[in-house]
Amino acid sequence: MHFDPVANLQLLVSGLAIGSIYALVALGFVLIYNAVGVVNFAQGEFVMFPAYIAATFALPAVAVFGGVVHWQLPLIAVYLLVIVLMVGFGLLFNRIAYYPLRDRGWLPVVISTIGVSIFLRNLVQLTWGSQPLVLPPLFPVDTIAVGALHIRPQDLAIIGVTALLIAFQYVLFERTTLGKQMRATAQDRTTARLIGIRVGRIVAITFVYSALLGTVSGLLVAPLFTVTKEMGALIALKAFAASIVGGFGSIPGAIIGGLTIGVIETFGGFYVSSAYVDAIAFVILIGVLLVRPSGLFGERVAEKA
Amino acid sequence: MTTPDAAAAAERGLLEIRGLVKRFGGVTAVNALDMTVRAGDVHALIGPNGSGKTTTLNVISGLYRADGGSVAFDGHELAGRPAHAIAALGIGRTFQNIRLFGELSVLENVMIGRHVRTKTGFLGALFPGGATAREERATRDRARELLAFVRLDAARSQTARSLPYGDQRRVEIARALAAEPRLLLLDEPAAGMNPAETDALVVLLRRIRELGTTLLLIEHDMNLVMTVSDRITVLNFGQHIAEGGPAEVARNPDVITAYLGGTLDAA
Repeated sequence: MHFDPVANLQLLVSGLAIGSIYALVALGFVLIYNAVGVVNFAQGEFVMFPAYIAATFALPAVAVFGGVVHWQLPLIAVYLLVIVLMVGFGLLFNRIAYYPLRDRGWLPVVISTIGVSIFLRNLVQLTWGSQPLVLPPLFPVDTIAVGALHIRPQDLAIIGVTALLIAFQYVLFERTTLGKQMRATAQDRTTARLIGIRVGRIVAITFVYSALLGTVSGLLVAPLFTVTKEMGALIALKAFAASIVGGFGSIPGAIIGGLTIGVIETFGGFYVSSAYVDAIAFVILIGVLLVRPSGLFGERVAEKA
Repeated sequence: MTTPDAAAAAERGLLEIRGLVKRFGGVTAVNALDMTVRAGDVHALIGPNGSGKTTTLNVISGLYRADGGSVAFDGHELAGRPAHAIAALGIGRTFQNIRLFGELSVLENVMIGRHVRTKTGFLGALFPGGATAREERATRDRARELLAFVRLDAARSQTARSLPYGDQRRVEIARALAAEPRLLLLDEPAAGMNPAETDALVVLLRRIRELGTTLLLIEHDMNLVMTVSDRITVLNFGQHIAEGGPAEVARNPDVITAYLGGTLDAA
């Protein structure tokens, strides 16, 4: 196989695009983990559920509970609507799945998030049936020629939106009081409470923010795949691997881990075999754990364990 | 100097503890404690290890819920209020084991301490600019002033964790002061400090008192307690055994037997 710079650049773009999705979902894992000390096993459903809602509003005809709806709203309106609904979803998730169990240790909360995950998948099955839906893209998914390159505009949109979100989050965390409160709460909840931070509110905001990270990745990635009840599970599994590769608990680690896995699996799928794409993330995970058990950016893992 | 109003307020006490009880399982850590902290005083709470000093501070600041009695701050009953609400009322504190946010910078630690005095909500933080940016700048400026006040402005960009122990204590004090507390609770501020650091702490505590902040401190360093305190409350087995000025307490035979096992001069 000869080395083709154009093909490699194209692979890099689509690798970064899927890696961006993993990075956003991995950030959701890490932020919730830092805030409440628990891995949220429903993070994948934070991706899948909004994709279903979006498809329902956007498509010309969608079967819901045996009936058919024909909303076909403009895509931008759909996005806004889904984002607002998912803010409510994040608050509800905090209130129902986390808040009542907050003083019971980590295990009940983990079980609770698994419960929400199972519940949502079955809710989706009941509501929309097992037929996959296809969410229209904001930009065409067909490639366009940029010089010698053939690139999917949706890939660029994914990379661009992710870059904006990461920049936004950087400003939020480093430059605002709310962000400092979130970081302080992640480091030491008791002290945060004692110096007057309303920890319960910060945790609720963290759940909402993580739900929105999932929502954005769901809306961005759905046009590339189909919307099924399993779509979140594989993305979340790889994002989880990404956050461990980056060093669990580390925000830059989650981003770098996500991009790394996205790029390597895309190249691996091309050069090795597309049959192994889904295994590549876990090969990377095992490799990193063997060489550097705390992950690429992970000093806090040992500290928290 | 004192106006009649201020004198009356001082008489009433900024912090009034009446019949406070706190149990842990079968152990009664604080047993029917009465104590009054007058506005403007440096008030020390002393007693042997396990006499209930830190427990009392933890009840005041809302970390523990009392099993009985009342704690009133400036006429507001504190029982049942969450810790963040108590902080917002004007009670700040530092900790026996320093509890800074180690991975945040010194300046950020102090800025966070100020947030109970800022107004920007969630939406303001999501859309930085305008009022949020102005408030953030004001918070930063005030935090810088406080760091200058505790003589740590030069260390503001370092992570809190990287500072020497004595300096970390000063950052904690600056963080607590950032909320403009009327009552500052200090849990063993001199613990682990060398004599030079302790001397500097005495100076700092006096300067804080001059700002009009009332101080309630737990401390084992008797020299420091005798030097800075206006009043001293002595606890033993969760009960109040003596209260008064330093000289008075030092002469109290109960205190000498229960706590010091000798004279204060020998301590």
